[in-house]
Order: sequence, then structure tokens, then C-alpha cells
Amino acid sequence: MNITGSYTFDAPPQAVWDLLIDIDAVAACLPGCESMDPIGDNKYRVVLTMGIAAITGRYEGTVEMRDLEPPCSYRLVVEGRGKPGFVTGGGAISLTASDGGTRVTVDGTVQVGGTIARVGQRLIGSVAKMMMDRFFACLQQRLTHPA
Amino acid sequence: MYAPEFAYYRAGSLAEAGQLLQQHPGAKLLAGGHSLIPLLKLRLTTPPALIDIGRLDELKGISVTDGRVRIGALTTHAELAASSELAARCPALAEAAGLIGDPAVRNRGTIGGNVAHADPASDLPTVLRALDATIAVTVDGSERSIPAADFFEGMMETALGDHDIVTAIEVPAASAGQGQAYIKFSHPASRYAVVGAAASVTLTGGTISTAAVALGGLVPVATRADSVEQALTGQTPSVDTIAAAAAAVSADLGDDLIGDIYASAEYRRAMAPVCVKRALTAAVERAG
Amino acid sequence: MSTRIFGSGIRRREDPRLITGTATYTDDLTLPRMVHAAMLRSPHAHARITSIDTSNAAAAAGVVAVYTHADTVGALQPTPCAWLLPDSDLKVATYHGLAKDVVRYVGDLVAVLVAEDRYAAEDALELIEVDYEPLPAVIDPEQAAKDGAPQLHDEIPRNQAFHWTVAGGDIDAAFEQAEVVVSDRIIQQRLIPNAMETRAALASYTTATGELTLWNTTQNPHIVRFLMSGVCGLGEDKIRVVAPEVGGGFGSKLAVYPADFVTVFCSMRLGRPVKWTETRSENYQATTHGRDHVQQVELAAKKDGTITGLRCTVYAGMGAYLSTAAPGIPTILHGLMLSGPYTLPAVKEDVYGTYTNGTPVDAYRGAGRPEATFMLERMMDLLAAELEMDPVDVRKKNLIPKFDDGHEVITTLSYDSGDYPAALDKVLAHADYAGLRATQAKGPINGTYLGLGLANYVEMCGLGPSQVAGAIGFQGGLWESAIVRFHPSGKVHVFIGASPHGQGEETTFAQIVSSELGVDPNDVKVFHGDTDMTPMGWGTYGSRTTAVGGAALALTARKIRDKAKVIAAHLLEAAVEDMDYEDGKFFVKGAPDQHKTITDIALMANVAWNMPEGVEAGLEASTFYDPPNFTFPFGTHLAVVEVEAETGVVTLTRYIALDDCGPQINPVIVEGQVHGGVVQGIGQALWEEAVYDEGGQLVTGSMLDYALPRADMLPDIEVLSTVTPSPHHPIGVKGVGEAGTIGSTVAVYNAVIDALRPLGVTSIRMPLTPERVWQAIQQAKG
Repeated sequence: MNITGSYTFDAPPQAVWDLLIDIDAVAACLPGCESMDPIGDNKYRVVLTMGIAAITGRYEGTVEMRDLEPPCSYRLVVEGRGKPGFVTGGGAISLTASDGGTRVTVDGTVQVGGTIARVGQRLIGSVAKMMMDRFFACLQQRLTHPA
Repeated sequence: MYAPEFAYYRAGSLAEAGQLLQQHPGAKLLAGGHSLIPLLKLRLTTPPALIDIGRLDELKGISVTDGRVRIGALTTHAELAASSELAARCPALAEAAGLIGDPAVRNRGTIGGNVAHADPASDLPTVLRALDATIAVTVDGSERSIPAADFFEGMMETALGDHDIVTAIEVPAASAGQGQAYIKFSHPASRYAVVGAAASVTLTGGTISTAAVALGGLVPVATRADSVEQALTGQTPSVDTIAAAAAAVSADLGDDLIGDIYASAEYRRAMAPVCVKRALTAAVERAG
Repeated sequence: MSTRIFGSGIRRREDPRLITGTATYTDDLTLPRMVHAAMLRSPHAHARITSIDTSNAAAAAGVVAVYTHADTVGALQPTPCAWLLPDSDLKVATYHGLAKDVVRYVGDLVAVLVAEDRYAAEDALELIEVDYEPLPAVIDPEQAAKDGAPQLHDEIPRNQAFHWTVAGGDIDAAFEQAEVVVSDRIIQQRLIPNAMETRAALASYTTATGELTLWNTTQNPHIVRFLMSGVCGLGEDKIRVVAPEVGGGFGSKLAVYPADFVTVFCSMRLGRPVKWTETRSENYQATTHGRDHVQQVELAAKKDGTITGLRCTVYAGMGAYLSTAAPGIPTILHGLMLSGPYTLPAVKEDVYGTYTNGTPVDAYRGAGRPEATFMLERMMDLLAAELEMDPVDVRKKNLIPKFDDGHEVITTLSYDSGDYPAALDKVLAHADYAGLRATQAKGPINGTYLGLGLANYVEMCGLGPSQVAGAIGFQGGLWESAIVRFHPSGKVHVFIGASPHGQGEETTFAQIVSSELGVDPNDVKVFHGDTDMTPMGWGTYGSRTTAVGGAALALTARKIRDKAKVIAAHLLEAAVEDMDYEDGKFFVKGAPDQHKTITDIALMANVAWNMPEGVEAGLEASTFYDPPNFTFPFGTHLAVVEVEAETGVVTLTRYIALDDCGPQINPVIVEGQVHGGVVQGIGQALWEEAVYDEGGQLVTGSMLDYALPRADMLPDIEVLSTVTPSPHHPIGVKGVGEAGTIGSTVAVYNAVIDALRPLGVTSIRMPLTPERVWQAIQQAKG
């Protein structure tokens, strides 16, 4: 499944880039993130409790940032698994200057397996998009109102 | 399809249900169970406890006072569909309830459970948005009312707090000259709304004095179609004015349309004006 | 008792227990010391297993044992494929009970866990830790055959399970000389059979005796016993297989599955009864699917509509492994039916069976024949459109004329009997076809288009002569057996080798005995589905139970009648050749008042006080009936649809089904079978599809997304019949279990395309969901 999004930040690309690779900020904004610990080479072990309403699942996995081209682009590779199944994904994240700010575009794919994939197809895409929107909204908020 | 272990409590009163909720963090309320039980059996939800409120008579029944219809949270879809009071005063709600799932689902599923679950493809939230319903919620013995517009926050997300219990849904009774309708294109398996449109139109002296239109099924949360409403208000209803107003719905849909293997976002977007047009046509007919 | 019981719509005796919930299914059974199995299945479509850690699960409360592939080495042979298609370069991949190293579809078995109760088993199942290294997956049967596609089995290049051909006539000349050629690419999507009862097994192995009893929801308990014997290393003499009440199969309970063998393995290892009942989620993932063809079809014809050749290439998805009967379905049961009810001078079909990372595909109601009928009937409509002829006229031009005793077609089959033009004419008259066409000609009403869809079909049923079975690689016989036993009071027990599971043969077989021997059908009890009690038989599938088993039973009843006549003659002090029989009475010709009934004779035969010289006591007979040919039921279906252009919504407004299954033993049961079959066929046309995503995940994994037909989605089905007896069958019957499914999918499909012809739509991928129809209309608009 493809997942795309576009978000504007009221800051120059370098500031947005710094935020995107700030693991504390990422961990704070990743919905349901319980922990995010570096294991080297821009790779992190992540524990997430993902879900909406009553439907929750705890996933353990890794997040890796590859092909870093500051402050323009990088690739994100995500792998996780939990009792409801597994999630793998990857995406290209690009930053472009735009009207004095920065436009961040995400172009990725998500593969979900297990129970969620079998019974949740009508919602998976929307949920993935919602979580991504929340992640970037949180980052936008952080940029405007630093903690 | 075997649920994990959970504790089960049957509340003898609303107050006891509230206490049990406080005592068991993470507990879920069990009403009709038609969303919760499948999730449990799929192990997609693992609450430590279920608090069964299914036998609380105080949450049952439909009453009418001062132009408002109060529907107890435990009223089933079948009861909504069969209610003559509802058919007379909020016919779109009765109509929508009769289109939910199948008889087995309608006989067990409740309006309170339905709104609390807030599935984007569900029918009742769409109607409740169009009819400016409020959701009555109890916590610690005190009741408050939340307008449907504020209650439904997102996909399966509501304004309910951890210890809130939905006790009733209140809907303004239709006035003279008001016609209502709910139309949906449903999924052949789940019978969920692929696109759902609820319309309420009041005719005064041959022109549309007020129009309320809400959409569900294709948006993450039931949404009012402001552009359609504006396009209709003050118009003399005709095939052309209705079609033109329905076409305006594209401005109300936003970017995040739901699409799935059965019906893409593109198709749903194309069907939204059709569904709205049909709902409006029926509402206008009934208003006349 | 009148012989008119044959043809009487008496109520099904099966129904009271079924509709009052008192029937006993496998899952209803409980044995002392019984434990429960739960199956760990792969969440990946294709992955290497890098490690399995069962220690936490094994230590969990209530857990008795956890087994993986390593535990089964030497104890469990691979799951067999039992239809070894000859002359096809067949390559059977090794199908382990529990996956060894690599999983190849979502649902592939990885481990089994046995616990004191099912909840404990499911809880502990979550504690088995498996690490997978995902591998690329392929789902589409045509893509799987391409260079560079992910490879499922190292030893099987290009994922090719087999390449089978059927050819007859001069196909090249047919196309070189064709005045008109039409073609289409057709996707027969994957379907999920959805029997109401999921699969289940209760295995009880007694270590002290070395004996196994297996209660199993199956269509063929004797085949289960035969295969179980080989896979689990037990003598057939030590195995009893019982099919208790079976809640539907539709082909999906023909196969013998890894989970069945694994359940038996657990019981043998533990010396305790082990029960496993599939969840609906498992059923969707792991019980065989149906169809899954990519078909490229072209038809050559003359300008007057006479067809001259049919050429096709089919990629048939087999799933990850070859299920029990899988190779025969898209080949023998498909390719040999390509002439249909028409005169076809030349044919050539190539069928490539390919391994894909999907659930194994096997027989599903109709099994190959609906897919063949679809191709042919689709071509008929395309030809009619191309020649601007009415679809009826094109069909009439090519229908085989009436025949009573044999007609050979280009695919080498010899049809038994048929009157195809009569069936077509009767449907057209009943439907007022001309009137419907006149209405259609007036154009759409409010953007709603009327469409008519025809399907003529003939199917090969009553499988089949055992000599043919051997020639086509079926690893068993295809005869059936029956024992009829009269008790002293005249009550009758019938034992059959076939294994009905909802089709109503307890009723119709009693009617056969009743009509042959004049006993009250209520005095005839039919036993089936227990290998210790019933004679050997090959099971219930391929519309063969009545067509083959019913013949065995009728012949057995006639043996009883012959013996009874000898006894009656003795009692009436007459010569056997002077005896007559009518309506259950034996009498001397011309003196019907002085008679003996079958009940009188049953008593005498059983007490044996006064038997004729040289006649054995008892009134019992048996027959092993091997049919001389298949039977060939046929029919004509007509669907009437309305298609709303604005939304793409298809409404089926009328459905007329004429099915000729020969003489009808019980027309109410025939009608019920037709209804069920028709609805399953309509389901394929309009709603059903097993959808995998690009990673091989089954995303229609539940009834939330997999759309089964419901009563409120269907019109009343108008059921008609003609009666053309099979000349080679003792009572002329042909079988009706699959009939409704054969023509209904394409009838509905043709109707929708017919409706949309004015808009320029010629092809839509099934199922014909509103969006697909709407998109096709948008594309045609340009």
C-alpha cells in the first residue's frame, strides 16, 4: 500500500531537517512511541503501542534512516512486529524550500501482515495516514513552540 | 477466534457501572457487543475487564419531551427502526437504523455503543450530525451533553473520557414542513456505508428555509456538507437546484477520503453528489 | 406403497435435526482425556524461518505439547496430491504437514500446540517465537510463470506445476480460414468456498491397540482413511474414519489437509484424543480456494455465426502446493468441456498450472466446468455482437441437435444424451425473451440499462468410469457401492460408500429403495460416512453421489427384488418365471389378489423356516457399480439485470434456470440444489473475490470484506426443467449438485455486458462491483 503526504513547516529546510533527525523530537511525536533507543548506524530500536480506540497492538521493531542528504532528503525504513502481526515500510522523505518555509513530502509504502491485514483493510490506509498526519502536526507544533 | 482472558462485571446500576470503570483502568463497557466481541475474538483488543451494562433499564427506551426525542443508549437498532415515535419525529434516524448490518446485528447493536465506537463507515453518526443531535454522557453521577459536532472527533475517536458513559442521544423533533432522509451505498458484505448521506430540509412557503446535510462512509469522521446547505438555502426545490447543490459537495469532502479494495476514494468522491442528491430529493419530497 | 414415491417432493428427513440444532458435528464431540490443538500459521506469504523458539509456549499453563517440523520427521510423510495428471510434466512440490524452513502462503502451518483447553492453547500459541526472513511473493498465476518471478520451490523452474493440453481438429486451419475472430481475456478470480461448518478433526489413537478413530468433516472418509494410512504409517485396518454431520463442503472438504494429518500425529504422539476445529480466520487462509484462472480465449467463426475453432491459454493458480485433487480441476474437468453443448470442429487449449504464494486451490462447486462454460458462453456473446446477431441465434446455429444415446465431441468425450435446443426454447418462451428484447430496445429508463444474459451448458458429472480415472491420473477408483439389508420386520438399512453432507441423499436414497421395492421410504434408513460401517466408496463430489451411488443402490434393490421373487414364487407354489411384480407386491401373473409383499418376504427370508431349495437365508444384497461413462446434465440459464449507469450498481431482476438432470427423484431437493448452485455462481459474478495484496496478504480475510450472497440481494429464482434420461444409468439420473453453478456466473456476466453495450463496454473484471462497472463506463466514454 502506498502512503503519501505533504506538510509545510514555517522554517527553513535546515531547521526542519534538524528536527526530523532529532530522535527525542521524533520519539515524542511518533504516536504511541514508548521508547526509541539507538543501536548504531542511524538505526533505532522502537517500542510502539499503535492503534485507535479499543484496537491496539504493541509492536517492537526498528527504525532506520538511510541515504541522508542533509537538508534535502533521506529514506526511512521501518520494521516491527507484535501479536496482531507485522508492519514493514519504507519511504522517501524530501525537504524543499517553499515560500520562506519548507515543504516536506513523504512517498512511501506500508506492508501490514497478520490479523490487522486480514480484517482491517478498509481502515489501514486511513489509519496510517492519520498517524503520519499526527506525527508531522506534532513536529510542526514543536517547531513553533519548542519544548 | 478465542478471546484472551478478561474479567467480567455486570453492573446493576449506572452508578455501579461508573464505579467499576474507575476501579478497573482500561476496562471496556459492553452493551450490544457487536463491535467489541469480534475485536476480542480476533485479539485486536485486550481489555483487562468488561463491564456489562446491557441490563440497565435506565438506559433503555425512547421518550419525547419539549420537542426533543431522548433515546436511551441501550436502545437497539431494531427498536429504532421499529419506533413509531422516531418515524414521526426523526425519520432519518429510524431509516438509517433499519439499514444497519442485518437483523441479527440490529437486534443486538445499540445506539450508545454505535456512537461510542464511532466507526467512520457507521450510519448513525452521519444522521446525528445532520440532525444536530447531542450525546448525553455521565461521569461521577453528573450528566453533560455534547453536541454531535464535538463528540465525533476522528476515525473511531470521540470526546469521551476514560470514565464517561454514554447514557442517551437527544435529537430535536422534526417540525412541520421538515423532511428527512438517509441514503447509503452499502458494502455488500459488512453493509457498512461506502457513502452515506443524511439530509434534513425544511420548506417554508415553497422555498427551502433550512437544509442540513451530513456525509459519512467516505470521510474519517461524519461531516456536515456546508457548501450543499448554503447552495440550497433560500432555493425553490427542483431537480436542477437539488442537483446543483449536491454537486457542491465536492468542496466539503476534504483530502482525506477513505478508499479500500471495494471502493476507491475516487469512486466514493464521484458517488458523494449522487448520494447527496438522492437524500435531498427524498427529504424534499417528504417535506412537501 | 406406490412407485410414485420416485419423483415426489417429500420433505428432507435430514432437516429436523439440522434446523433444531440437534445434529452432531465433529466439534460437538467430546471424549475422555481429550485435549485441544491450535495451529500456528505463517503471517507471511513467503519467508524463510530462521528460528523457532517454543520454550515459553511449552511452559505455559495447560500446555501439553508443542511440535514443529523437526518433531514430525519420520512420523509424518508429506501431504499427498492424489490426481497425478499424466502427459503434463507434473511436478508435485513437497507439502510438509508442518513447514520445513520455508513458509509459502499466509496460513502455511508452522507449529501445532496442544493444551488442556482451547483457550489455553490459543493463549500459549502467542508465546511461540518465530523469526522469519521475508522473501518476495507472487500471487498472480500468470505473473508466477514469468522469468524473474519469485520462485516457490527450488526444484520446480518457473513455478510450473504442469502444462496440459487438449487438442482436436485442425485449429490452425480454423483460424487461418476464419471469417471472423473474437477474443477476450478473462480473469476467473479466486473464491473462498465458505462452508458453514469450518473444518475439524478429532483424532483418538489408542496406544495399546495401535488403532485410530478419526472424526473428520470430510466429503470422502474412505479417501481420508487411505491417505491417512500412508501419511501416518498406520494400516488401513487400524483406522476408522467417521464423517459425522458435515456442514457443507462445496469441494473444500474433498482435500485431505496438513492440519488433519498433524492432528492425528498429535494423538499418536500423546496417546490422547486431540480435537482441532478450524476458526473462520483459519478457514479463509488455509482451506482450499477455488477458480483462479487467467484465460486468454479466441473463437474462430464464419460470418453466418457457425463456429469453427476455439483456442485458449489458461494460467491456473494452484497456490503454494498441490492440494489433493488440484491438478485435475483446470484440466480434465475444464479442458474436456470446451465444446459445451455446441458442435465445435477444432479446439486447442494450453493450461499452465502455476505455483503461487496463495492458499492451495482445489475443487469448488462446478470445479473447472464453470470456468469452461464461461469462456465458451462469453465467446458466443462476443461473436453475436461482432456479427450483429442476437445471442440466441448464434447459439442456435451451433447447438448439437437432440440425441438419445451418445454423441462424441472434439474433446473426445462422448455425451450420453441431450436436447439442448429444447432447453433453450423453453427458457426463451418462459422468460418472454422477445418481449424483454423489445423493452430493452426502447432504451434506458432514467439512466438504467436492461441487460439479458444467456448461458447454455453441459457438464460432465457422475465421475466416473474407474478405467478413465486411471487413464487421467486420478489415484483412486470412481465406482460406488451400496448394501441393502432387510430386517425381519421389513425395515431396511442401506449402507453407501458415498458421503453426503447436506445434499439430502438420506431422503432420495430412501425414495430409490422405496420405488424399487415398494417399502415405505420412512422405513428405510441410510447410513453413510463411517468406514467401519459402510462399504468402500470414493466420496461425494462431482455430482456423483446419486449418479453413481444411486445406480449402485438401484441395482442392489433389483437384486433384492430378484431374490424376493424367487422366495415369493416358492411361497405361492408357483414357478419363478410365472411371477409378476408391481408396487411392492409379488404375485402369479393374472392373480394379483394372491400376493406376497416385500415385508412378508423379508420376514420369511430372515426366519428362513421355509426357503426355496438352494436359496440362502437373509434378504441382503450389495453392488459395486462402476459407471460405463460420465453423465452429462445440461441446461440453459437466463439472467435479467438492470445497470444504473450513474453508480454502476447492478440489480439482478430475474433469474431463470433450466436444468436437465434426467428424472428427478425429489424435485424439491433438485430445486434446492439448483438454488444453492445458482447463488454461488451469481456470487462469483457480482460479489465474491479472495483478494491478496501485493505482499501476498489475504486482505479479504473475513466476512467483513468477503461478500457472500444474501437472500435480499437476489430475486426469486425461476426453476424450470426438462427430463432427458441418461441411457446408461439404471434409473436415468445424471446428478444436480453442481448444475446451478455451471452456467450462472457467465449468464449474469453476459447480462451486465449486454446492458452496457450501448455505452461501448465489452469487458469488466469480476466481481462486477459498482465501482468496476462505473469505471468501465467512464473508460468507454473516453
